[in-house]
Amino acid sequence: MIKLSPKLSQKLSYSILFLATILAIVPVVVIIFTIIKNGASAITWDFLTSMPKDGMRTGGILPAVLGTFSIVTCAISITLPIGVFAAIYLNEYTRNNLLTRIIKLAIVNLAGVPSVVYGLFGLGIFVMFLKLGVSVIAGALTLSIMELPVIITTARGALNSVPYSFREASLSLGVSRWQTIRHIVLPNALPGILTGTILSIARISGETAPILFTASVFYVPHLPHSIFDQVMTLPYHLYIVSTQIPNMPKKIIFGTALVLLIMVLTISFMAIIARIYFRKHRKW
Amino acid sequence: MVDKIKVENLSCCYNKKCVLDSLNINVIQNEILSIIGPANSGKTTFLRTLNRMNDLDVTYLRKGEVYLDNDNIFNMNMENLRKRVGMLFAMPIPLPMSIYENIIYAPKRLGLILKKSEQDAIVEQALRDASLWNEVKDRLDSSAMKMSGGQQQRLCIARILAINPEVILFDEPCSGLDPISTAKVEESMIELKQKYTIVLVTNNVKQASRVGDRTAFFLMGNLIEIDKTDKLFISPKERQTEDYITGRFG
Repeated sequence: MIKLSPKLSQKLSYSILFLATILAIVPVVVIIFTIIKNGASAITWDFLTSMPKDGMRTGGILPAVLGTFSIVTCAISITLPIGVFAAIYLNEYTRNNLLTRIIKLAIVNLAGVPSVVYGLFGLGIFVMFLKLGVSVIAGALTLSIMELPVIITTARGALNSVPYSFREASLSLGVSRWQTIRHIVLPNALPGILTGTILSIARISGETAPILFTASVFYVPHLPHSIFDQVMTLPYHLYIVSTQIPNMPKKIIFGTALVLLIMVLTISFMAIIARIYFRKHRKW
Repeated sequence: MVDKIKVENLSCCYNKKCVLDSLNINVIQNEILSIIGPANSGKTTFLRTLNRMNDLDVTYLRKGEVYLDNDNIFNMNMENLRKRVGMLFAMPIPLPMSIYENIIYAPKRLGLILKKSEQDAIVEQALRDASLWNEVKDRLDSSAMKMSGGQQQRLCIARILAINPEVILFDEPCSGLDPISTAKVEESMIELKQKYTIVLVTNNVKQASRVGDRTAFFLMGNLIEIDKTDKLFISPKERQTEDYITGRFG
């Protein structure tokens, strides 16, 4: 065992920690830089607002943007109320016994199931068994099932962050349990729930596997009309243009990637802004 | 003298560890009953049983009965009971809203306010009764979290008064307050007993002697002695009581 002087060991550990941080940042920077460098020139108003032409090699990505937008909107409006209600029930109403502990553990573990498993599950249940076909609604349901445990977990965290004494003070005044939740707990948990939701939106916008078999198709010659339409989506479109079509102009591939990236980053950024805002305006 | 609260053979346990052992005690209408005793004597458990705040704790078990005006409180609707028996906690807990909203919160939820025009009157009356009105009348819309500790505690009293209860339970209400704030809270307690029945749990023996009409001494889950305050402090019957009030233990 070599004995290092305190000064040297301090320097060494500092360099290792610094190096680890750099290693974590470099890939992100390289990816973003490459995508911007190769894709920025593709981004024009026309690219965002027109249909793909010439076997995707020219034209725009409007149907994919709209497809992703409609699936995500549907998914979040299904998963948010269910997730928040379940979190309220688990957090505020259940007693802490073996059954509820198992339920809570299952929910946490459900968040770790690979997304392609959800995709196949959605194919079996929504597309085939419920005969929804490959459609916006089947994809949205699959995504909402995938996101439900995440929403429940973040919502429970937000509910837990509201001090227990507020509930006690309210109950001690003869106010009922539901009124306490409705008027004291929920308003104060809302910021946490909101930022969690925005991050969930960012996450599911980029998901490919769950919608691969349930909502996305190679090409649709028109924009989506209803939730029972099959649609093009950004992540799947990106996969197609980069692997399935020969002689694809590089510009289009990176342009699509850049649009997806900007979309996800913008949503995440909104979450950060919201968090800063609520932290400033927190009343306790 | 009418018994407001009557407790019969009350035993309370948490996780099979018993903290109150077949307690029999009464609270007389419009009196201040102070309860003194060292830590773990079951004072707070007793207090929290009277408005069933302990029912929130899953490990809590109880035997025996408590009557409020001859109605068994364990057969009463929980919200109705707590509306009649208000509670002030050791630490002031203002709700995260304005002073005005803090007062109006419970009456609104309980449906006690029918017209909007009644609100201002209720807020003013409650704050006056808690002797807080003059200090806050110009900033009713500012956050209750920004008040001082003593003001917060008096706000919590005002909040209870706004639902017009019959009994008010004080759980060591001055443990976090400076002497001047403490004096103010004690002052309002003495004023309040004209209209309400008060049970005060306190770690401060002097406080019990200052405000209590009667004083009860709890030790290890048992009621050792209960008597008129001056009598209990001047000539206690039990040796343990004397030891405690003279500061020989506890």
